[in-house]
Amino acid sequence: MTGRVAGERGGRMGARTYRVWDPLVRITHWGVALGVLLNAGVTDPDGRLHEQVGYAVLGLVVLRLLWCIVGPKTARFTTFSPSPAAAMGHLRDMLSGDRAVHLSHNPLGALMVYNLWLTLLALSATGIMMGTVAFFGADWVEELHEAAYGWLMLSVALHVGGVIFDQWRTGVPLVRAMVNGRKQVAGDRPVK
Amino acid sequence: MIFAVGKLLRPGGADERRAAVLAWMTTIQALCALFFIGDVAFDLYAGDGQALGHLWMESFVAVVLLLGLGVLIVELRQLLLRMDRVTAGLMAARGEMAEVIEAFFSTWGLTPAERDVALMILKGLDNDSIATVRGRAAGTVRAQSAAIYAKAGVDGRTQFLSLFMEELLADPE
Repeated sequence: MTGRVAGERGGRMGARTYRVWDPLVRITHWGVALGVLLNAGVTDPDGRLHEQVGYAVLGLVVLRLLWCIVGPKTARFTTFSPSPAAAMGHLRDMLSGDRAVHLSHNPLGALMVYNLWLTLLALSATGIMMGTVAFFGADWVEELHEAAYGWLMLSVALHVGGVIFDQWRTGVPLVRAMVNGRKQVAGDRPVK
Repeated sequence: MIFAVGKLLRPGGADERRAAVLAWMTTIQALCALFFIGDVAFDLYAGDGQALGHLWMESFVAVVLLLGLGVLIVELRQLLLRMDRVTAGLMAARGEMAEVIEAFFSTWGLTPAERDVALMILKGLDNDSIATVRGRAAGTVRAQSAAIYAKAGVDGRTQFLSLFMEELLADPE
């Protein structure tokens, strides 16, 4: 899904528009965000609703992971495979003032994506375990669930901070891209 | 932001709308499948002595749900790939259009200055803007566009533009 959108003019002179996030990516993204928000701040942690929201988030993550295998190019594992080396390279590029824009996740963002998925899976697993007879009342499961929750909150803060920072650095409206699926890149910036 | 969310729900273009509907259906069906399969698994786990026939039926429904989900995912993938191809096709058509324009200009024997002016006319600039962009007097540009229309054998701007429109609308055959 990296097609330039034909016949569409960018807001600024020479801005190019790329279709990057397909609807499934966007729906699962905001669905997970909503679920996390609900379970972090609204639902009663011991309630039935908390469990159901948790299952829904797990379902969305699993669907998204499936989409990483069969989906279009920008949604795939292969487009943003986790690589600390690439992330370091990206840091160096940023420091040296590289103006290129990544159409999918940038290498640092990619690491965050995997971190978020793994954390959500860990949260779901421990959450489900708490409800089973075998692990009922096992303190370590609950502690793990809470540790994963703390880590998730930290990650979400970093994720949002990273998005704001990258939006400022590259001038690409990233939040809007996750809403309408299109990245608008200024004419003088190369894309990767 | 409200507008942007509205755009997510009702994106422009028939294909994009179709893709959005498919993606919503895929997501909802995935959640339904999860719920149903979870329910079956729970029944099995709890083993409240349900009739075997009932269990078979539920398993069958679960499989059908999953198959449907698979079909939706494949359909969505095909649609998205096709949209990419169509975009590429449009870009190619644009590239060809540039060649068509170039061919017209050559047949008419436009001078380099006239070519520039003619391109700007095609892009919708009026004579005054063209004069500003090129740093020439408005009179010069008017004379140049008159020469262009004469060489192209048309009465004026509208007819000139329609020459190219006709190329675009013509049957590919």
